[in-house]
Amino acid sequence: MTIDIRKYSEFLEQTASEIDIPPGKYQDAVDRYQAVGRWLEEGTYSGSSGELIIYPQGSFRLGTVVRPIRGGIEASYDIDLVCELPLQKDRTTPQSVKLMVGDRLREHGTYRELLDPEGRRCWTLEYTEQDGVGFHLDVLPAILDGRGLLDTAIAITDKKGESYFWSASNPRGYGVWFDGKNAAAFARTAFEQKENIQRRASLIYSSIDKVPDQLVRTPLQRAIQLMKRHRDLRFNHHERIECAPISIIITTLAAHLYGNEPDVYSALSGIVGKLRAHAALVESGAIERSLATIGLIRRKPDGTWYIGNPVNPGENFADRWHEDNHARARAFFSWVDALQKDLLNILGETTPRLLKEHLSKALGATVVTKNFDVLIPPVSAIDAPRIHITNAAKPWRDV
Amino acid sequence: MTEGLRRQIVELASVHSGLKNVVEHDAETIVSGTLLFEASADGLETIKESFEIELMIPHDFPETLPRVKETAGRIDTRYEHRNPSGTLCLAVPIEQRRVLLEQPTLLGCVNRLVVPYLYGYCFWKKHGRHPFDEAAHGHEGILRHYMDTFSLRDDLSALAVISFLLEHGYRGHHDCPCGSGLRVKICHGQALLALHQQHTPQTLRGDFIAVFDLCFAKFQNGQISFPQRMRLQLARLLKIVSK
Repeated sequence: MTIDIRKYSEFLEQTASEIDIPPGKYQDAVDRYQAVGRWLEEGTYSGSSGELIIYPQGSFRLGTVVRPIRGGIEASYDIDLVCELPLQKDRTTPQSVKLMVGDRLREHGTYRELLDPEGRRCWTLEYTEQDGVGFHLDVLPAILDGRGLLDTAIAITDKKGESYFWSASNPRGYGVWFDGKNAAAFARTAFEQKENIQRRASLIYSSIDKVPDQLVRTPLQRAIQLMKRHRDLRFNHHERIECAPISIIITTLAAHLYGNEPDVYSALSGIVGKLRAHAALVESGAIERSLATIGLIRRKPDGTWYIGNPVNPGENFADRWHEDNHARARAFFSWVDALQKDLLNILGETTPRLLKEHLSKALGATVVTKNFDVLIPPVSAIDAPRIHITNAAKPWRDV
Repeated sequence: MTEGLRRQIVELASVHSGLKNVVEHDAETIVSGTLLFEASADGLETIKESFEIELMIPHDFPETLPRVKETAGRIDTRYEHRNPSGTLCLAVPIEQRRVLLEQPTLLGCVNRLVVPYLYGYCFWKKHGRHPFDEAAHGHEGILRHYMDTFSLRDDLSALAVISFLLEHGYRGHHDCPCGSGLRVKICHGQALLALHQQHTPQTLRGDFIAVFDLCFAKFQNGQISFPQRMRLQLARLLKIVSK
């Protein structure tokens, strides 16, 4: 059985778009979060001066959304929002910032119903939608904590037991950094993709320039989505679910390693290849010099691990990798090997049926079944009845 | 199952050999399997494809049309032309009747409605647009069908046409419901006669309710008002359809 790599890449692209958030859902989510934003804006917060702002962070901001899969079933989308209050750090407390936002949400009849119990850092609103595909909005209370006007660092509130404290974060800075890594590929593909999206969702976007940048996906973003979906499925029933590589590590490393490849397959293959080249670090071995120089994943003299936040090198995403005899590091590198085996070494598959089975295990049966024909056209008998269509009816939809 | 339907299922399988599973239920007969086709249309490419489908055929077919499902989950969730129940939305009911009456058998239903629908889907998936245009969703699509067929300019004229059909069927010597002041047979006679022949009592009733609902909503918003004569007619017809 021979597989055309171009077709395989197209298959990966379509599969990723299937686990992505569709334009209509995206627009719903934006409408919802803007409404929440307006409600929060209109509140009064003691000691505040200036305007409250609300903006997305995480995968929704970065265009790497993956529909979560829980117990094998596609679940609600997670959308993370930062709610930045115009308060000064020395004139407020993490507790009061967190509670003021929670109180304001509870003042709204609907949001009170949707609100989950207080989380460690967020307030979560659970939306169940008519079509059964809901999302939860995580609202993260924060205040600006930068040095200087251009610094986008924020302080967020954290809670352990009954006590609250500040943590540092910089989602806007991270977003700008990610966009930089993505920029060349974005420029190359944006227009064509927007044209396509507009044609498919003309009820939502009346012209091409109405299609938001956030719906364009580069091979980097697609590769990240596929890696996250593979991670979700692999660690779903894993006895060590807490060892699943976290999204911020996957996103950061992939963005660093993306070499502007023009299609999903070569992007994924480049990223996974360079990640695997780091595996010797587990046994404290030496790795290729060029990689060692970049120092994306490092071992410190004391044996602990370091993967830095690109906009805040003081933050170490891998700060728990040494625990439990390096359980997270081991899980990470064995997952990277699995990526290679499950998604890249597919040329060795002998029959379409086995290939479909393996891909279904790696990415989910529903999405693979839907797009498998791109890869292997169905075996069709030679004597397909020939039909010439005249006077065709227009498709409709009952409501 | 009637002898007529049995013969039609045999005819269908003689052309589409993959549609071979037949299960008989109380209210309907279900024919399912692989539908393989190589379809073309004037000026458009040839598409060879196969889909897993299920036809749910009511016992009064062809009076009532079968419902059709694609069972392998291959239709993209972004494709809008599926009913809330998951069945394929082939066309507005009266247009389905129009097409079916060209060949009022199960084979006609598959070749003239199902295959063109799936061809349209494959085309859309490939090019992002519909080869045969698409109808507006819901009641609006039904209303548009009347406006297009009769070249009408407003909703009330469409309501007048349907009301006429519901009350009189076809009457050549009446004033044409389009409001031209001419008699039906020298005005919209042919179109009206065609609709009269295509409709069943159910489809006519359904279309009347759909278009009336739309007009009534506009009336409540103050966008239109019903002329006195029409009000009396509507009162009569609403009494009939609500029975």
